[in-house]
Amino acid sequence: MAEQPLPERQSPLEPDYHPGSHGNFEHGVDVILSETRPGSILQLGAWPGEEKRLIEVIRKVTGLALPDGAGGGASSGARAVFGFAPGKFTVVDEAEGLAATFAGVITPAIGTLTDLSHGRTAIRIAGPKAEWVMAKFFAIDFALPAFPLGAGRSTNHHDIFAQIQRSGADQFDIYVFRSFARSFWKALCHASEEVGYEVQ
Amino acid sequence: MSPRRTETGGRIDRLRTIRFTFDGAPYTGHIGDTLASALLANGVTLFGRSFKYHRPRGLLSAGVEEPNALVTVLSGEVREPNIPATMVEIYDGLVAVSQNRNPSLAWDIGAVNQLGGKILSAGFYYKTFMGPVFGPLKGTRFWMFCEHFIRRAAGLGKAGTAPDPARYERMNAFCDVLVVGSGPAGLMAAKAAADQGARVILAELEAHFGGSANWSGETIDGMLAADWAQRTVGQLEGNDNVRLLPRTTVWGYYDGNTLAALERVTDHKEVAAKGEPRQRYWAIRAGTVVLATGSFERPLVFPGNDRPGVMLAHAAERYAVEYGVLPGQRIALFTNNDSAYRSAVALKKAGAAVVAIIDVRGDVSTEMRRLASEAEAELLAGHAVVATEGGKALTGLKIQRFDAMSGALSGDERSIHADSLLMSGGWSPTIHLASQAGAKAEWDPARQAFLPPTPTQRWIGAGAFTGSFSTAEAIAEGRAAGLQAAGGAASSAPVPVVEAAPGDPDPAPVFEIKAKGKSFVDFQHDVTADDVRLAHREGFVSVEHLKRYTTLGMATDQGKNSNVPGLAIMAEALGKPIPEVGTTRFRPPYTAVSIGSLAAERFGDLKPERLTPMHDWHIANGARMYSAGLWYRPMIYGLPGETVEQAYVREARATRGSAGIVDVSTLGKIAVQGPDAAEFLDRVYTNTFSTLAVGKARYGLMLREDGLAFDDGTTWRLGEQEFLMTTTTANAGKVMQHLEYFLDVIWPELRVTVTSVTDEWAGAAIGGPNARAILASCVTGTAVDNATLPFMGIAHGQIAGVPVMICRLSFSGEMAFEVYSGAGYGTRVWEALIEAGKPFGLVTYGLEALGTMRIEKGHVTGAEIDGRTTARDLHLDWMLSKKKPFIGSAMMDREGLIAPDRLELVGLIALDNRPLSGGGHIVEQLDEANPHHSLGHITACCYSPALGKYIALALVKGGKARHGTRAFVSDPLRNRFGPIEIVSNHFYDPDGSRMHG
Repeated sequence: MAEQPLPERQSPLEPDYHPGSHGNFEHGVDVILSETRPGSILQLGAWPGEEKRLIEVIRKVTGLALPDGAGGGASSGARAVFGFAPGKFTVVDEAEGLAATFAGVITPAIGTLTDLSHGRTAIRIAGPKAEWVMAKFFAIDFALPAFPLGAGRSTNHHDIFAQIQRSGADQFDIYVFRSFARSFWKALCHASEEVGYEVQ
Repeated sequence: MSPRRTETGGRIDRLRTIRFTFDGAPYTGHIGDTLASALLANGVTLFGRSFKYHRPRGLLSAGVEEPNALVTVLSGEVREPNIPATMVEIYDGLVAVSQNRNPSLAWDIGAVNQLGGKILSAGFYYKTFMGPVFGPLKGTRFWMFCEHFIRRAAGLGKAGTAPDPARYERMNAFCDVLVVGSGPAGLMAAKAAADQGARVILAELEAHFGGSANWSGETIDGMLAADWAQRTVGQLEGNDNVRLLPRTTVWGYYDGNTLAALERVTDHKEVAAKGEPRQRYWAIRAGTVVLATGSFERPLVFPGNDRPGVMLAHAAERYAVEYGVLPGQRIALFTNNDSAYRSAVALKKAGAAVVAIIDVRGDVSTEMRRLASEAEAELLAGHAVVATEGGKALTGLKIQRFDAMSGALSGDERSIHADSLLMSGGWSPTIHLASQAGAKAEWDPARQAFLPPTPTQRWIGAGAFTGSFSTAEAIAEGRAAGLQAAGGAASSAPVPVVEAAPGDPDPAPVFEIKAKGKSFVDFQHDVTADDVRLAHREGFVSVEHLKRYTTLGMATDQGKNSNVPGLAIMAEALGKPIPEVGTTRFRPPYTAVSIGSLAAERFGDLKPERLTPMHDWHIANGARMYSAGLWYRPMIYGLPGETVEQAYVREARATRGSAGIVDVSTLGKIAVQGPDAAEFLDRVYTNTFSTLAVGKARYGLMLREDGLAFDDGTTWRLGEQEFLMTTTTANAGKVMQHLEYFLDVIWPELRVTVTSVTDEWAGAAIGGPNARAILASCVTGTAVDNATLPFMGIAHGQIAGVPVMICRLSFSGEMAFEVYSGAGYGTRVWEALIEAGKPFGLVTYGLEALGTMRIEKGHVTGAEIDGRTTARDLHLDWMLSKKKPFIGSAMMDREGLIAPDRLELVGLIALDNRPLSGGGHIVEQLDEANPHHSLGHITACCYSPALGKYIALALVKGGKARHGTRAFVSDPLRNRFGPIEIVSNHFYDPDGSRMHG
């Protein structure tokens, strides 16, 4: 018997997710906010010395080649990966089921796989003022040379832990704990009012 | 035309009229005016009343250092006090009021303090309010009696009490070069660094860039300096690598080249755009800082130097040139240096009559004599001002011959009729930020000023900040600093050519004219030269003590005007040179900073809310929510008319009678994975986990390294190398840190990862005699009978079409199951369980009922695991493995931790059938008048529907040995006294038969 597709997941942002233009948008919107709702968000960890093997596994499964160095990352639109701590990586896929794919190839000799597809909420901010709004939250240099395309950072906004990947020249994907997501979303909308924003 | 406005000139827009009020009276000004310049243009001379004596005060300066004209700006119900009128840009509808006066600025009852004279000198409060040694006003009572009146009579503006509806923000910025100050030095530095490709931030505290170029009247590269500045700013604006921040005061210099700045984003606007903050706090991380903060002109200290109409010379020049306002029609200048001569010429050109230049120096240069002549002013060299005349405005002054070497006055007094007296006591570089950055300022005997110290952080000085007071030097130094900061090579290209009035930058070392009358050193705090000498006579030899005793340089002034004159007078009194007396260290903030800007986006929203996946369902279904740390959890699901106690009793009773369900998504959940996961857990927990079978859970206890109890919870073995640890809600973060610390620091050889998966799972605990039947009716893919799902067993199935993981464990003491699903399906599974439970009368219950049932069972939580209790205190010693070491095992048997008189967990029953309260003490003998000899205290309490009694858990000396005995609760704070019985903490179903089924 064919497996029934799983029902749609409930967004933690739902009551406060209002598509349309908001804030000071009379002269146009300078940022676009959205919840990207990827099907899979995984955390992969390599044992010390096994990082390159894990990076190779990631490349084989996702097709994404990670650059050397801390915080490096890559994205292809549907999939994204970045290092967020020594030997630790976040891997994202639009489709569900990525955990099952990795489960067969990440052996105990390489490291571990943790499925966080429900536990993290992915929020995207894009537009010419994306860096400006992000700078209101995080003590991170968002300029392109300092935070190149594909790269990831671990940081926090007060009590909210966040992982950030630059997914475009003026676009960032922010991964926050699901339980904090609504609070963070409201703060992000509030901070974006100044420049005018659109929720898609 | 207003009385003091010049016919032409100034950078104001004369075609645009602004209407505002000051102390209720309507005034007009122009775009570009400050409140100070607009009021001055309207002929206003009286701006404030002094701190202590309530003396009438006018404008002293034109900038951020203004000590007298402090006003309160009203915006609706909100008051912003103590803002220098010189820094308030006017806008239509601005409402400002004066401060520290009653009933009005013109007629102030507090002016009677002037009669107090010497009584109100330095140390007045210390000396006066020590209080008599006996009588009704003994000790501090005299102060307490007088305090109300004194606080009304003395001080600055009053803060408001209305909530501030304004919006504040924080901004993080990074740059290669931060340039502080945008005078010629700052502009050149920014331009040079930007041309090198560096990322540059240029911060200017005033509304317009340019600094002294805006009013100096000099020419740079053949154009008016103000035009040159505007052109340079235009060039900078076109660069993507430059951020210009006008109205931004850099107020703090911290370690690691981190600087704090305050941008006044909309203070100058009638209406802010939507989403625009009032103020923005900038945290700037700079590669290198160029300090081009300029310098402050110093007042001279002489009798009557605080009378309205006495002003700093450059300030008057600035009002004339930048705002088209003259401070008076007949102007006299009093100086110890050359810079005032340029001011005299500028004022003459603006239309004022310059009646005299009084110079303490007997030997005035030919060039200055020429400038005096150009200003058509009588030059009185070797003279000093010894008095001023007038009431709320200056009418004249008196001068005498003066010997600058000895400070001696001689000859007859001569009166000069003038309505404005401008003074210049030399210039002090604005070294506040450099001082904050770490090192001690250095005295320069030529400049008679403290110069910036050798940098201890990555900053470079330029311009007047370094003591180079000419514009040509500023431009050269600015360019060199900008190049150096950006890592560029020194340039041989010609620097812009400056045409400026001549002048020797070094003043005569004269700070005070000693004559009869009050001579003010610190205008803001009413500190006189006599106060400084009094402090010396009373034994205050340290400059730091002088500051605190006299309040010299405190409050918003922070020594901007008073620092050097005060030190000079102190040095003279001590008979020491100024450098030996030293200077105080400048501390942040450089100017006043609103608390709102520091709170920034946390203003009005202190903490984020942490919500479970079923949060909206709880709200929609009548839950009263409760804040538990950052989490929001249902407290009760009250019915109409129910009290909290009635609600939780109903919920708990129904659960024990049939079934209840509670949201347990907040429990901390940590994935512990890897080949060494079981070994790691054996070390972390007091009991053994390596023997746990896959598909089973076990209750575990952790100790801290010092042997005290830390946290408890169940851990589930999901695979050979995979565990799901649960922690208490409150301790989830601490446990995670604890585990990470041991893995990273103590046992890095263990191949284990720990990951917070608290938010991955939604959790619902369903318990009660019918819990299994409810589950059975909605779960597919697994049976839930005793064989498939025994106590502490784990099963996987589906509910409502989504995968769930079920573990049979109980906190309530009933047969219970925790049902976990992906958080995105949490509400779906929850609703399916609720629906399945309807035939069984399933109730939802909140934290109160949860707590009630756990107290009935005698389970411990954070109330008992409070950082002071041991496993033995809590009767959990059965969990302390003797076969293996674990964290805390080496320390848990210390003498103090096994002493027989330790507090132990017990149960209490109120024998008077009245509620007990947490924190209430247990005593053997009741003494309401003198409560004493506590045996311990209550940790948790409730009404027990199972027992029909008010019960509690408590930590009591003797513990088990007191079971069955009687004692008393003694709670004097809540006036609760009464008899209790001490019993086992296991009130209900002590053998666990209900739970095990």
